[in-house]
Amino acid sequence: MRGPRTTVERLDQPSAYFLNRNKRRRSDKDRRDGDEDTNMQAEQPEEDRLKNATTLYVGNLSFYTTEEQVYELFSKCGEIKRLVMGLDRFNKTPCGFCFVEYYTHQDALDCMKYIGGTKLDERIIRTDLDPGFEEGRQYGRGKSGGQVRDEYREDYDEGRGGLGRALQQAEKLSREGRDYDDDYGRLR
Amino acid sequence: MADYDRRQGAGGSYNSKKRRYREDDDYDRRGPRRRYDAPPHVRVRKALIAIADNPMRPWHDEVQSIATLFTDNWDDELLRSNFVDLVLQLAVEQPLKTPFTAAVVLLANATRPEVVDMLLSKLVKGIEAKIEAGEWRDVKLYLKLLACLQGCLEGEGVFPVLEELFARAVDLQTASSEDTIGTEIVKIILLTLPYVMVAAPGQWHQKAADLMEKTEIIASEPHTLQAMIEPYHEESSEENQTPSQSLIGLLQSQLQTEANNGWALPCLPRPWEFPLGDVEQQSKLDAAPKHALPPITIPQTVVAGPRPLFPEVHFSVYANQDVESVPPVTNAAASLIRDVLVDTINILDYNRNVTARNLIDLDCYFAPRTFAARATPFDKLRDIEPPKSTWKPEDVAVDAVFSQLFQLPTPEHKLVYYHSVLTEACKLAPAAIAPSLGRAIRYLYRNSPRLDLELANRFLDWFSHHLSNFGFTWKWTEWVDDVYLPDQHPRKAFILGALDKEIRLSFAQRIKNTLPEPYKELITPEKEKETPDFKFASDDTPFAAEGREIAGLLKRKAPDEEIEAVIQRIQSQAIDREIDALVASTDVFVTCVLHVGSKSLSHVLAAIERTKDRLADAGAASDAARTQIVSAVMAYWSAHPGVAICIIEKLLNYSILTPATVINWVLLGRAGSTRGEALAHSYMYEMVFNTVMKVTGRVRQVAPKADHPQQQQPDHAMPDENAGETRELEVKAMRSLFAAIEDALVSWATGTKDEMIESNGDGETDKLVRRWAERWLRVFRRRAAIEEAFLVDAAKERARRAAEADGKANENANGEDAAMAHA
Repeated sequence: MRGPRTTVERLDQPSAYFLNRNKRRRSDKDRRDGDEDTNMQAEQPEEDRLKNATTLYVGNLSFYTTEEQVYELFSKCGEIKRLVMGLDRFNKTPCGFCFVEYYTHQDALDCMKYIGGTKLDERIIRTDLDPGFEEGRQYGRGKSGGQVRDEYREDYDEGRGGLGRALQQAEKLSREGRDYDDDYGRLR
Repeated sequence: MADYDRRQGAGGSYNSKKRRYREDDDYDRRGPRRRYDAPPHVRVRKALIAIADNPMRPWHDEVQSIATLFTDNWDDELLRSNFVDLVLQLAVEQPLKTPFTAAVVLLANATRPEVVDMLLSKLVKGIEAKIEAGEWRDVKLYLKLLACLQGCLEGEGVFPVLEELFARAVDLQTASSEDTIGTEIVKIILLTLPYVMVAAPGQWHQKAADLMEKTEIIASEPHTLQAMIEPYHEESSEENQTPSQSLIGLLQSQLQTEANNGWALPCLPRPWEFPLGDVEQQSKLDAAPKHALPPITIPQTVVAGPRPLFPEVHFSVYANQDVESVPPVTNAAASLIRDVLVDTINILDYNRNVTARNLIDLDCYFAPRTFAARATPFDKLRDIEPPKSTWKPEDVAVDAVFSQLFQLPTPEHKLVYYHSVLTEACKLAPAAIAPSLGRAIRYLYRNSPRLDLELANRFLDWFSHHLSNFGFTWKWTEWVDDVYLPDQHPRKAFILGALDKEIRLSFAQRIKNTLPEPYKELITPEKEKETPDFKFASDDTPFAAEGREIAGLLKRKAPDEEIEAVIQRIQSQAIDREIDALVASTDVFVTCVLHVGSKSLSHVLAAIERTKDRLADAGAASDAARTQIVSAVMAYWSAHPGVAICIIEKLLNYSILTPATVINWVLLGRAGSTRGEALAHSYMYEMVFNTVMKVTGRVRQVAPKADHPQQQQPDHAMPDENAGETRELEVKAMRSLFAAIEDALVSWATGTKDEMIESNGDGETDKLVRRWAERWLRVFRRRAAIEEAFLVDAAKERARRAAEADGKANENANGEDAAMAHA
């Protein structure tokens, strides 16, 4: 992207996740929450789509982190043009991610370097360059409406609704299942 | 492809265990990698990049093994060319390692002298290119590499280059007293000299003395711009008016002391020196061939480059301690260590983790015994017996970062970068770094009343952001007495500002829980409310019914006519009550918009978007109405100024507000109604500062554009027909804004503001207010001066480009004539 390889790795590169997402060519259930399903994207060189990216995907937020908090932190890298909070597909409540759009590409790169991997609301957040927000991507793609990662999470994360939702569901069912064995079997 | 297939196979069903565990990043699940010996060019690259990182490895061993690996594989062409390029790249990317890579080159020179010629020819070209581009830091870093090679250079080596550079500096300085390039060049010369002296010990004392005799005149003369970038802003009454010393002034006197001591320079590493036992290596090195330095052409006129140059001063948060935990300013080590650390910090902004690692490991890159052991507690420094060093590596590292965070007028990178470096350093070595940071915070807190106001606010911003990364823990108890100071006291103002910023990054209840008792009262119940009260909910408020009605209409997105009807009612009532009708209706309307959008910023932004025409009309109708928009926003969000500031910024973007509205609201309106006490609120400063930055940012965007589209750079996507006109307008607006700020602040600072004359109140508060106004004034005068300087440069640049374009046009015309002649 810029001159010879530096002797120190750069933090403003797109993540391996982004670069390999299309290589994997999985079906749509494997894409980041809210990604557009267009096949032609896979054909384009990935880095080019990020050449002038001004948007960042921000992950690992607490469900309780507000837009105001995101503004306060992310404005340190430049004025924010738009902020889109990620929402649960069904309840329309925050589900722990957002898109931050700056006015300039440089601000987005600086954000990768200086804010990605630091704390917001006492959680380490992650940032990834993004080719741009499109309607629909603000919703979680997990089965139960949130982000996919919150379906099967086995650690208890208070800021993100405790255990993974599918696990919570399974637990609930198995409790009920002691009485209704048949139903349990069917639901699986 | 095999990986891909295997992963798919393992994936199996949707609910496979594997999928469940897969984190975003570890997509790459290969088996254990087969071991093999990497080719030499890979091994040399790896070793060279990591040189001196390992404190357990003696330098001479490491340097020798890399040199041997390199020369043993001399036939590998890839290795040969890569090696030279990598040495050059490391010089400008990881300057802490320059002496070590130079030592590898010196050793390789003994077996393969060609390598030095290869390197020198590229190095010389590099220096020329960097001078041409005005990339002065890279010039300095290349010269440092060259200086470390002085031992293998023929004749006088680096000296003629330094002398020629000095000649340029003299020309520049004689031409203008405000010149900064000449100062920068002298700084570079002085910082290169010590490396020459350790690379070729004992040989160049006279040469160095001659050079320093010349630099003395420029280095010791205080620069005309220095007063502007002074980090402390002493009260005029105070006796202690000693200004900070300029960086080059200090360097000059430090090096003079070194010269008197035979250039001992004990802090600099000498990896080219072998232990006494290894006579063979040492003599091989001494007998290695010498090389002629190809001539370096320095253009007659040199340029300032992409970053505006300013004089620099030495800043330390560990000054005047009873034990020296950082090198004293009389010692050349203070400047030499600081210089290379600051370069490292600013160069590696693209990987703050590596920056932090380098800072923590800084003792690896300087001579042994330069520092005390890592993580020695400050109290234990007292027990260290001289001549052992009491310099605490953590203090030296933290000091270097703060020197950048507190650099005036602006540091090289966004402030948040320096925040992030301190955060990472603290994460890497909490036990070592945290106490040093604590002492830095105490120093800055104690001195915040005399800090330049811009720096005091940077401190505030950093402090709250830093705490947000470490669970908001701070020993607030030690400042508990200051809670009882008046709000206008600078230290109390700091506490209030810091708590507000902490709450913005978190929430009131959380922050309250981190505070000892007396502080809790500073967080009012309003701050803990999810959304502010809607004043029209109470019938005691004038226009309560109308307010509720408009809010209802806005909520159900009723057509504008229905709103207009209510507005009309408010206005006619207002006229009956003999108050400004427009102001009254604007207040109700704006408050309702804010109330409807109180749930989140996107709600309020959507509400503003829907009503922007009405808001713009109201704002355009009268100054008073426009001002009322600001009042309404600030009143509604008074418990959360951060939200208010954000909304004001968006209203500026919509041009519903003008920058002058905001400035006047703060400096005349709010300051007036509080008898100037509003000047003590950090969010008032933030509001004005942000607004000014918005205006100057705009000017900076349009200033470089040429007047006519045909002269504009082809890379400008849209040719601008009226660039010249737009520029004139923007510049004019900016100047009148600065003038308005100046006028308002001068009368606060001199106490001639009507409100102050009338007040006759207690003299103590008035004194504090005058002091706040003086501090504000200094910040915005500096801003104005910097923007004017920028405009001068931009005009020069436009003229240069226009001349270039004309030149090209003529060339083309001549070319055409020639073509015609041929025809």
